[in-house]
Amino acid sequence: MLLTNYFVSAWRNIYKHKLFSAINILGLAIGLASCILIALFVRDEISYDKFWSNADNMYRVHLTFNVPGRDPMKLAMAPGPVIHAWKKDFPQVTHASRLSQREPTVIIGDRYFVDDITLVDPDFPEIFDLNAVSGDLTNAFIGFDNIVLNETLANKYFGSKQAVGQIITLDFGSFQRDYNVAAVIKDMPKNSQVIPKALITIDEPAWKEQPWMFDAWFSTNAQLYFKLSDTTNIESINRELPAFVNRNFPKIPIGGDNVKNSDLIIMSTMNVKDLHLAPSRDGEYQDRGNKNTVMIFATVATLILIIAAINFMNLSTARASQRAKEVSLRKVMGASRKDLIVQFLGESVLLTFFGLLIALAIVEIALPKYNEILDKTFSIDYGSSDVLYIIILAISVGILGGSYPAFFLSHFRPAENLKANKSAETKASVKLRYALVILQFSVSITLFVSTAVVYGQMLYAKNMDLGYNTDNVLAVHEISRDVVQKKLPLLVEEIKRMPNVSAVTWSDFTPGRANQNNTIVHVEGQSNEDGILIGSRGIGYDYFNAYDVPIIAGREYSRERGDRDVSTDDLRNGINYTGSIMINESAIGRLGLGSPQEAVGKLIFAGAGQPEENLTATYEIIGVVPDIHFDSLKSTIRPEIYEIHADYGNAISARFSGDPEELVENVRRLWEQEIPSIPFDYSFIREAVARQYNAEQGQANMFAAFSALAILIACLGLYGLASFTADRRTKEIGIRKVMGASVFDVVKLLVWQFSKPVIIANLIAWPISYYAMSIWLENFVYRIEAFFIIGFCLLAGIAALLIAWGTVAGNSVRVASANPINALRYE
Amino acid sequence: MLKLQDLTKAYRTDEVETVALNNVNIEIEHGEFVAIMGPSGCGKSTLLNIIGMLDTPTSGHYFFQDEDVAGYSEAQLGVIRKQHIGFIFQSFNLIDELSVAENIELALLYHDIPASERKERVAAVMDKVGIAHRAKHMPSQLSGGQQQRVAVARAVVGNQSMILADEPTGNLDTAHGQEVMEMLQQLNEEGTTIVMVTHSPSHADYARRTINLLDGHVVTESMRA
Repeated sequence: MLLTNYFVSAWRNIYKHKLFSAINILGLAIGLASCILIALFVRDEISYDKFWSNADNMYRVHLTFNVPGRDPMKLAMAPGPVIHAWKKDFPQVTHASRLSQREPTVIIGDRYFVDDITLVDPDFPEIFDLNAVSGDLTNAFIGFDNIVLNETLANKYFGSKQAVGQIITLDFGSFQRDYNVAAVIKDMPKNSQVIPKALITIDEPAWKEQPWMFDAWFSTNAQLYFKLSDTTNIESINRELPAFVNRNFPKIPIGGDNVKNSDLIIMSTMNVKDLHLAPSRDGEYQDRGNKNTVMIFATVATLILIIAAINFMNLSTARASQRAKEVSLRKVMGASRKDLIVQFLGESVLLTFFGLLIALAIVEIALPKYNEILDKTFSIDYGSSDVLYIIILAISVGILGGSYPAFFLSHFRPAENLKANKSAETKASVKLRYALVILQFSVSITLFVSTAVVYGQMLYAKNMDLGYNTDNVLAVHEISRDVVQKKLPLLVEEIKRMPNVSAVTWSDFTPGRANQNNTIVHVEGQSNEDGILIGSRGIGYDYFNAYDVPIIAGREYSRERGDRDVSTDDLRNGINYTGSIMINESAIGRLGLGSPQEAVGKLIFAGAGQPEENLTATYEIIGVVPDIHFDSLKSTIRPEIYEIHADYGNAISARFSGDPEELVENVRRLWEQEIPSIPFDYSFIREAVARQYNAEQGQANMFAAFSALAILIACLGLYGLASFTADRRTKEIGIRKVMGASVFDVVKLLVWQFSKPVIIANLIAWPISYYAMSIWLENFVYRIEAFFIIGFCLLAGIAALLIAWGTVAGNSVRVASANPINALRYE
Repeated sequence: MLKLQDLTKAYRTDEVETVALNNVNIEIEHGEFVAIMGPSGCGKSTLLNIIGMLDTPTSGHYFFQDEDVAGYSEAQLGVIRKQHIGFIFQSFNLIDELSVAENIELALLYHDIPASERKERVAAVMDKVGIAHRAKHMPSQLSGGQQQRVAVARAVVGNQSMILADEPTGNLDTAHGQEVMEMLQQLNEEGTTIVMVTHSPSHADYARRTINLLDGHVVTESMRA
């Protein structure tokens, strides 16, 4: 009975005070919706690779090259031969497998595809769980002519036909082989760093023409995973790693005898569960998460909920006097304080549940877009424990927001409240309310500033002068395939002849697609051991012209002048000659070659082939280019040389003007006519470069959206508070008006009342934002100046004040315009 | 000082029209002390509100110092009001959050008077009504009589030429009521026009003229000998 009475009373209170209820429910709904959306993101981020049945014992091997004078090269990969030494040296490793993702041409009958195929060792299924849908996995990794497809690929290749038993031909360039589909597996979960689509077993002898793939100690083309026996601690391996490096790696010819290999090569291991949120390394196959991002979003979710809960507290206590009479009457009728606390808490939980219903609707509406921004497939499973968590969340928020009002309202003494028109307000409750408003706005302003800094940094990175012109360059990929390589000159010439094309070139890399090649280089008078590790890239003729890079000194490669690279095969055969080389400014600085003009004409010497071959190529510097950000701005500029690759490359680049689609169509027609067996693959450099920041962009958008929501909820609360306060001050306003105050005077008075907490909030938020965002900016090598944060703080302050004024002014004008006699005639 | 001519005030709700004042004609000279009497609901307060420019008539004319203000906007009325008219209410209507001195100062606050002059005038008027020793107290710390004295001080601190008092003694005991009436009488003798609504015949006797209202009409006007 009592419960019914509470419920009825609660429902009527919600219904009667529509503004109060609407603000609270809406605020809670937005808060809960934000929180649920963020929770989905956070849960996904921390779930990576936890689902493997061996997860606790699964590790990946990492390698860091500590190159003197340069950023260390942190690799997600290990050289091919490491696996054999690993299994031999560490008996506590039960299984180990390399993982190398290749893009061969997939030939099925007369159809051609290009897909990611993952090359693994036979231990792979012992480490990673595979679920066969059809076929048999037991023998799938024995022998070298089986392939395992996931459902998506099986479907793509064979449709509704039975895939198991079919033959697939893979063309890796250096060799081609028929594979028998041994099994079809379920698609791997997306919350993993290991998501192969198709698996074949590594046949090392088949790769003998490309020894760097699996047989070179100083080339990394595969990740290395291993499983530890249940009874051993990973420390037993970790502490042996320096000795492992010194024992197994050939001596690196840098620094002489007193530099050990273990000083230059740092090996480490990482549990698979930690991979996703650890800092990204070169050679990752999947996008990495970011621990800070996860923490930041979890914090934002909490703050949004707190802001929504504060609204509830403030509005409940602000209208306490309206309810004082009810409290007093209930007490007179025998209600204990506990009864009343239960009643008020029940009311706030009920309100929260209304909010929750709307929140779930918001979440369902927002999810498709949210998934699109984050490239995820989140959903709420209403049949699972998700529902329980969400309900617990709502109850917690209800209790959090309702507790103070419940204790506050229930303490009223009936005699005081029934007798007179005495205000139930105490100074303390007014002060607390102010403090809470200050807290809300401090949080909102901090979020505002943070968002501005994140965006400012994004904009800066996007618009930074990379040293080359990304606009209007079309890249055509898949050039390295044998069939295409032969047609490179023809393709270049044909594309050059197309309308609106001003320059065509080729290269073994494309900006925005990381690819690290390094060579040890030294200058005249030095030995090989004094050399420094320098990045090397292969380019075609006209490259810097096509990418709008000015030549600082010297000239670009020219076919007419007989510029040529030094062939490793020639060196092996004892044929020595001087090749031409182009070099960037950082490299001449590091090599001590003087000014760019002085550098031209000087000789440099570069290691060639495998280190143990001890081959040296001689080059004459023919041109110097400025430092160019071909890689992401997350990495610093490195010293680089640019070799001329006269007749091979990975991609053709064409600078054009006019309609890009028309050019794409022209090139596509040419491609399909010349190379029908390989699918046409192209990209625009501008988009490829921008794609490097996609994850950041998505997260920045998400951050901005949730900051805006936090501010919106805070404003909702301020609006409610302002309207209640204005009502409470009706009498005062009446008196002031009778005394001659104009509407403007009164609005000023009320608006100022709410400006104070916002100004104080600014003073609190500014130093916090400045401090936090200066630290955040340190993550970037190229970043906006810290004084921009001050500008953003001022901007946030002005915006917060304007928003607060806008929120409060409407109410104030209404109250200020009212005729004072209504307020004054009767008490 | 002021002249009401054929003044009518009707309140209209959804369907019913209530006539609060019906063709009222009243003239009040400068320096007069007028009492308005009549039973509850006869239109006394409405009349006072219109005279005080807190409300506007439905029809008719209101000449204030020969200026017809009947059609003036709220803002225009506000300007005249704050220059010429002071108010005293039955329930004092002091602002709880402000001290005695601040409450009085409020009447000067919207007049472009420099702070130093405001302080002097507030001090002077507090002396005059005998409340100076309470300057820093809050209204809730004062007796009813003291609160009304603060209200009187507030009504005259701006040198208003007319005071409108709406049952100024209604919430006070006899002794305090007497005190307030004597204060008003003194102000009147110093030249302030006073219009007072009251239920008390004895307090009406302080006025030189009494206007009796019934159902929105002026029924009788009597002059004290």
